[in-house]
Amino acid sequence: MIDLRTLTIKKAHEHLKNGDFSVTDLVNEYLKVIKEKNNEINAYVEVYSDISEQVKIAEDMFKNGTATLMTGIPVALKDNMLFEGHIASASSHMLENYKATYDSSIVKQLKDQGVVFLGRTNMDEFAMGSSTETSAYGNTKNPLDTSRVPGGSSGGAVASLAMDGALVSLGSDTGGSIRQPAAFCGLVGLKPTYGAVSRFGIISMGSSLDQVGPFGKNVEDAEILFNAINAYDEKDSTSVKKEERIAPLPLKKKIGVPRSFLSGDGIDKEILKNFEESCQKLEKAGYQIVDISLPLIKYSLAVYYIICPAEVSSNLARYDGIRYGLHAEADKLYEVYTKSRGKGFGKEVRRRILLGTYILSYGYYDAYYNTAIKVRNAIKEELKNAFLDVDAIITPTSPLMPFKFGEKLEDPISMYLADLFSVPANIADIPAISIPSGKNNEGLPFSLHIMAPLFREDILFAIGKDFEKQV
Amino acid sequence: MNLADIKKLSDLARIDMSNEEMEGIAKNFDSILAYVGQVEEASKLIDKESEVKDSQNYKLHNIMREDVATNNRGEYTDKILEDAPDTLDGFIKVKQIL
Repeated sequence: MIDLRTLTIKKAHEHLKNGDFSVTDLVNEYLKVIKEKNNEINAYVEVYSDISEQVKIAEDMFKNGTATLMTGIPVALKDNMLFEGHIASASSHMLENYKATYDSSIVKQLKDQGVVFLGRTNMDEFAMGSSTETSAYGNTKNPLDTSRVPGGSSGGAVASLAMDGALVSLGSDTGGSIRQPAAFCGLVGLKPTYGAVSRFGIISMGSSLDQVGPFGKNVEDAEILFNAINAYDEKDSTSVKKEERIAPLPLKKKIGVPRSFLSGDGIDKEILKNFEESCQKLEKAGYQIVDISLPLIKYSLAVYYIICPAEVSSNLARYDGIRYGLHAEADKLYEVYTKSRGKGFGKEVRRRILLGTYILSYGYYDAYYNTAIKVRNAIKEELKNAFLDVDAIITPTSPLMPFKFGEKLEDPISMYLADLFSVPANIADIPAISIPSGKNNEGLPFSLHIMAPLFREDILFAIGKDFEKQV
Repeated sequence: MNLADIKKLSDLARIDMSNEEMEGIAKNFDSILAYVGQVEEASKLIDKESEVKDSQNYKLHNIMREDVATNNRGEYTDKILEDAPDTLDGFIKVKQIL
């Protein structure tokens, strides 16, 4: 028996190296859990059929001495990551039969390191949502409390980890889709700097915002998986070359709290109380906590719900029922388009495409899109200036505790508010991490959100590890 | 927003939708647009000087690669056609356009 609950990448690697157990043993333990729990939790939408071949490659690497830290580590993919020969559907009817014709760069990088991909995990359709309720594959339950949502959009990826159905997993984050589900399931989630991890072969949502990142049970695991995919990729034109990334500087051990951002409506009182306790813990760990003023940051969510639908409406124009994806029969080409798209896309996706179409239409483009870009640039500048004085900025990860199924689905604005604190990092391209910060009386998790300057993931890991020791 | 406005958007977006759904979206849009309209208020807080600096700082530029063939002719054809709903002699088949 391997104790999966306390297993970390480093521990697993030591055991594999020493021969305490083999990659086959390790993978079988996880497959056993998946078999036992996935029917109820619905974290995985597919367990891959070629796992034994992947395992063989990893075991050979251990035998011939080419194994690295990630070799043989069981990883869950999000259903929007292309893995050649396997279905990648973005949890949409539109792509339910789409078989990837190539590997995404992250899959290729991890394949080279001998990772074992267990399967693809459920998500909000095309990553649009904060609860995984918009998936075409049904709801994923929160393993900590099955009457509640796991968060979203990477809800399956986080639930696979929370139910011990993977050692680490990968998600994508456009407005909080890694960090908010990590918060809801009591795990660590990292959204790297825009341009740090390649998006080649990831099904696009909002291209100026999307980033791929890791989930882990602790900061160290998230850091190791991030390091394994943190590379320049010429196939992604937004990928930043290593020499253009900012070199690490020593920490000042000073953290900023944007007080006025925390005083808005709709923020759970219990969460604010836990946040104050987190500040005290960081002070105990030797950090100076200071109040900072960020007057524009509260507009990030409004900026997001202009830029994101605009990019969604153009990115999803490619799904036309002709080359791949769902195809509806009709006599004329135009009707093939409208019927395929009407049938293939779910309700929230249709709503956002229409919203984006409106925002980008003649007469409204300036008022919405151009104004949002102007405010976005000013928010970037505001955060850049704040980081001249502090190493990092902290808030709670989510303004809401994990909610029940159906609670927010019919009211888009209240669902959108779930991303209030996570969206600024996407707007400003900066890295951010969510870290468990305790539980309430009902056993539901709290989470601390830390943001750092561009390409300073090292700051997030350093503060995160100091914080973990205090919780 | 009324039904006719949403109908026009669904035509532009090439999405077939029921009237009932479009009526629901019309209602949602009013509250979403009121919310995102806050950017107007935010833009008034931005001073002109920093705005000019911003537009210089955040100017986008194209990343180009060399214009050379990256694969052999027909190398991926079969793989790609496997995903296509309707094919004929190595091509993707489409319906009549007009």
